[in-house]
Amino acid sequence: MPIVVRIDVELAKRKMSVGEFAERVGLTPANVAVLKNGRAKAVRFSTLEAMCQVLDCQPGDLLEWVEE
Amino acid sequence: MFTENRVVAMLRVVLVVLFGILVLFQTMSLPGQFAYMAKESPEDAYLRWPATIVSVFLVLCVEVVVVATWKLLTLVKNDRIFSDSSMAWVNTIVGAIAAAWLVLVGVLLYVGFKANDPGLPLLLFLLVTGVTVLGLLMVVLRALLRRATTLQTELQGVI
Repeated sequence: MPIVVRIDVELAKRKMSVGEFAERVGLTPANVAVLKNGRAKAVRFSTLEAMCQVLDCQPGDLLEWVEE
Repeated sequence: MFTENRVVAMLRVVLVVLFGILVLFQTMSLPGQFAYMAKESPEDAYLRWPATIVSVFLVLCVEVVVVATWKLLTLVKNDRIFSDSSMAWVNTIVGAIAAAWLVLVGVLLYVGFKANDPGLPLLLFLLVTGVTVLGLLMVVLRALLRRATTLQTELQGVI
């Protein structure tokens, strides 16, 4: 999976729990888990926007491309 | 969704009625009809059992389509029509139509070569054409269903 979702890094920086994050973004904890372990096929822009808003960061802070 | 539910409910009532009529035809009307025809024209009496079997089989094909449609309607009601489980029932419908088509073509050929008036062959030809259209239409609809199912599965992976 060349695109990695770095939610856990941002969450750790802000000391926010996964449960609180999920609730504030409006995702199910199950879907947050899917994002975190890289099983998501795609992310809606609206979801990305909500995540950036909650974490007060840029999309680039959440998504990272790594060479395989 | 509201119209959808009402139409599904109405369609189910009609399907039950249709199934009842078909069973009635299959068990009582058709065998009796051919027995009567055999008695009326003894020179064609040898056709009694083949004709009975063929017609009962054709009605059976329609019954299979009715049952498969019922199952698909259940999937529509549960909002699971765009899943792999619907494909099996659509295949059943296509199979039943194909079987009926083959039998009808056989009957058409048999009757067509023997007939001395064009009435019955023409009627059978109309029937075969109708079943052909229905069968090909079902194949197109099946392809569309498959595409929609793939799209739905893909969308489920989007968060």
